[in-house]
Amino acid sequence: MKDEVLIDIKDVKKHFPLSKKWFAEKKYVKAVDGVSFSIKKGETFGLVGESGCGKSTTGRLINGLIKADSGEIKFKGKNLANISEKDWKKYRKPMQMVFQDPYASLSPRLKVKDILSEPLKIHYPKMPNDEKKKLVTELMDKCGISEFHLEKYPHEFSGGQRQRIGIARSLILRPELIIADEPVSALDVSIQSQILNLMKDLQEEFGLTYLFISHDLSVVEHISDRVGVMYLGNLVEIARKRQIFEDPKHPYTQALLSSIPQPDPKKKRETIVLTGEIPSAANPPSGCKFHTRCPAAMEICRKIVPELKQLGREQYTACHLY
Amino acid sequence: MNHILQVNNLQTAFKTDKGMQTVVHGISFHVDKGEIVGIVGESGCGKSVTSLSIMRLLHDTPGKITGGQVIYNDHDLLRLPESSMKGYRGKELAMIFQEPMTSLNPVLKIGKQLREPIQLHLKMSKADAAEHAVKVLESVGIPRAKDIMEEYPHQLSGGMRQRVMIAMAISCKPSLLIADEPTTALDVTIQAQILSLMKEIQKENDMGILMITHDLGVVAEVCNRVIVMYAGRVVEETTVELLFENPKHPYTKGLIASVPKIGSGSKRLHSIPGTVPSPTNMPTGCKFAPRCKDVMDFCHTEEPGLIEEDGHSCRCWLYQDQRQGAMTE
Amino acid sequence: MSNIQPEVVTTDRIVNERKETHFHQFWKEFRKKKPALISLFFILFLILIMIIGPSVVPYDPAKPDYNRVLESPTLEHFFGTDEFGRDILSRLAVGARLTLSVSISAVLLGAVFGTILGLVSGFFGKLLDRSIMRVCDVLFAFPDLILAIGIVAILGPGLRNVIIAVSFFSIPSFARIVRSATLETKEMLFVEATRSIGASNRRIIWKHIFPETVPTIIVYFTMKVGTAILAAASLSFLGLGAEPSSPDWGAMLSKSRDYIDSSFHLVFFPGLIIFLTVLAFNLLGDGLRDVLDPKTKD
Repeated sequence: MKDEVLIDIKDVKKHFPLSKKWFAEKKYVKAVDGVSFSIKKGETFGLVGESGCGKSTTGRLINGLIKADSGEIKFKGKNLANISEKDWKKYRKPMQMVFQDPYASLSPRLKVKDILSEPLKIHYPKMPNDEKKKLVTELMDKCGISEFHLEKYPHEFSGGQRQRIGIARSLILRPELIIADEPVSALDVSIQSQILNLMKDLQEEFGLTYLFISHDLSVVEHISDRVGVMYLGNLVEIARKRQIFEDPKHPYTQALLSSIPQPDPKKKRETIVLTGEIPSAANPPSGCKFHTRCPAAMEICRKIVPELKQLGREQYTACHLY
Repeated sequence: MNHILQVNNLQTAFKTDKGMQTVVHGISFHVDKGEIVGIVGESGCGKSVTSLSIMRLLHDTPGKITGGQVIYNDHDLLRLPESSMKGYRGKELAMIFQEPMTSLNPVLKIGKQLREPIQLHLKMSKADAAEHAVKVLESVGIPRAKDIMEEYPHQLSGGMRQRVMIAMAISCKPSLLIADEPTTALDVTIQAQILSLMKEIQKENDMGILMITHDLGVVAEVCNRVIVMYAGRVVEETTVELLFENPKHPYTKGLIASVPKIGSGSKRLHSIPGTVPSPTNMPTGCKFAPRCKDVMDFCHTEEPGLIEEDGHSCRCWLYQDQRQGAMTE
Repeated sequence: MSNIQPEVVTTDRIVNERKETHFHQFWKEFRKKKPALISLFFILFLILIMIIGPSVVPYDPAKPDYNRVLESPTLEHFFGTDEFGRDILSRLAVGARLTLSVSISAVLLGAVFGTILGLVSGFFGKLLDRSIMRVCDVLFAFPDLILAIGIVAILGPGLRNVIIAVSFFSIPSFARIVRSATLETKEMLFVEATRSIGASNRRIIWKHIFPETVPTIIVYFTMKVGTAILAAASLSFLGLGAEPSSPDWGAMLSKSRDYIDSSFHLVFFPGLIIFLTVLAFNLLGDGLRDVLDPKTKD
């Protein structure tokens, strides 16, 4: 039970076509370009990276909102990569999503009670209304929203409250996996910590597994057990949280870590300021995609794509340095 | 006094269905030469409105300045006619915004947008202004500055656009730069670039910077002095070292404790319960009282003043002994 | 679980104060649009007349009175009488039912079909979308009235066929605006969120996308009623619609044109009422658009 693998994805790729001009050469944005990782039951796997690195696409590939071009996506051993849209209904039940923008992810013209009971209506069409209502109120209470808000519309709530509603919606079907796509990025710090605490409590209570996607390393460090760092569609490092934050191996992870402004003026650490821009995923550099900005770039990095190599017990890095 | 900017009792109100609602409540502060002052607070605390009020850029909003002074070089900017304010904006006081796309004109080439204020304010010829613009672009670390002059804003990445905005802001060597969340829309590695650039520029030109942000990390990284705002009021003001070492106001304490810090592990985060009150529904007394963990009875009825002690101001009854004495008597 | 912090009292207070329904917000804005407000009252008045008209009019609209033929407006007959001595005011009041019900039901029919086509077309896209839109383009190529005349010519004259004809030419325009609203809504996060909980396409379309297109449909519906009144009147004027003797506004206008030189009021009042009604629907549509759907404003 302890080490049961819930999600196991292997070499998953998704390339979005870019130009639709008739005679032009077809170009692709390599949003996810061969990503593999697995998540064990009950753990929180943090996926970090900057905008355009493919972390959100990876989340959506797992629950089939976007279909993968190739690769395997196994949920409890069952490969979901090629199942039909009809069958997805069954598999979406145990994996739910929480979205970044709590303002946009709730239907504006539905009342809170309708938003929350909708998953039940879809998956248990025969459930009596009072039972639905009981489940909804119970969960709202657990998520810190009082019952008299049931008749209200999303626009009547603040961002933090809406995110609580979003979380409650994702939990009502008692899923095993929650894919949280930047769930606190749109919130103020004091609200952000409320939501993070809530997510931890709910994880404990329901034995949830989280795939926590975020650009904010400090948030990811706070909530995750293991962390994967993405750059331009590839995972460059996967490790236990402690290893990532105390002894990052990949130069990109090191730079990312040192770039976070720390709320402590005395801790003026040496910031590794990366030169240059993030290259476009439509036209990524050859070899190691990070070599254009890497302070430790070597000749080989320009030519050969580094593979993920195991360095420590649970630490993997894709870099020619090792 | 060598303050470049002195804001006295500034008040700004917004027109709503329920009449004028004051969103900036008599705030006062100053910025000195060569100093980076941070204004931190969460959304809706009035920090951005403050910056727009100083620049008198409220006409696109329902806002109106209802009182106070903004003194720059012995002139009260709020009393100047709009025509002479134009001479200050861009030349003496410059501003950069969170989303550079909204402040760059999408249909004009970068070169033209950069050149025009230089021609206007520094009275340069077109050719000289263009040359100057290229120099400024190079100084903010833009490679192939000459080519960029011929490009349109949408052809640049977010980080590049922010660099162009900064170039535009400093092109006329202003003595005060107001930066409203300049790095919020950027990725961390790009944010690190922009922050180090801003510090560099500040040193080179010896200007004052007023940095508006919600990110305590950014404050700790670049600011010298910090003003913490809550519900349209200054609740704490001190040096950056003192603020993080010894925060006084319960709101500041809560805010600092709410931020997850690298290396602090997974222990439970502190959180401030509740949300920021809306201007239409302000609590009486101390505005933070309903969310405060150190709240006392009279906090709900009496609003504390901003009291300074050893260069550390705080608006909280916890630090105002006479009042407590008076209450216990 | 005791650690979860409920949102404290302050937020509840704020939320209570903000407790306004969509309708309240709408009304607060709409109230400021004076021309639309006046139009709304005018239309409500017409609808009232539609309902109670036949029972309150002073004269029987069908009963001739050969002693008072072609009388100019007097205190007895405010709008005068027609060539058979029938009271024009009474005829207009009773005719309101005929004219309005024909045009409203025609637009309603067009809106229903157009909306379904637009939703399907916008949501599923691809070949289905392209074929539906091409058919609409073909229909768009005909002037509305010519198309309607053509349809009535095929189906034969009569009110039922006028309804079909008028609804037919409003289908493509509804399909088009609903399609564009659908395309926009489809990309919104809440649609993706609904899909992620396992919702079917049908559910997403009806429960989540359709409600978002309703304001656009209401606005367009109102404006289209104006056009439909004109079209129905025109068809009746051409003798393709209502029975010439019935008090339909278009038919009244048509019949009285022989007397335009001698008895101007015969043409004037039906013309005026058509003009005012169409104007009212258009102004109301404008006002509704400003409030409900500001982004479509030119």
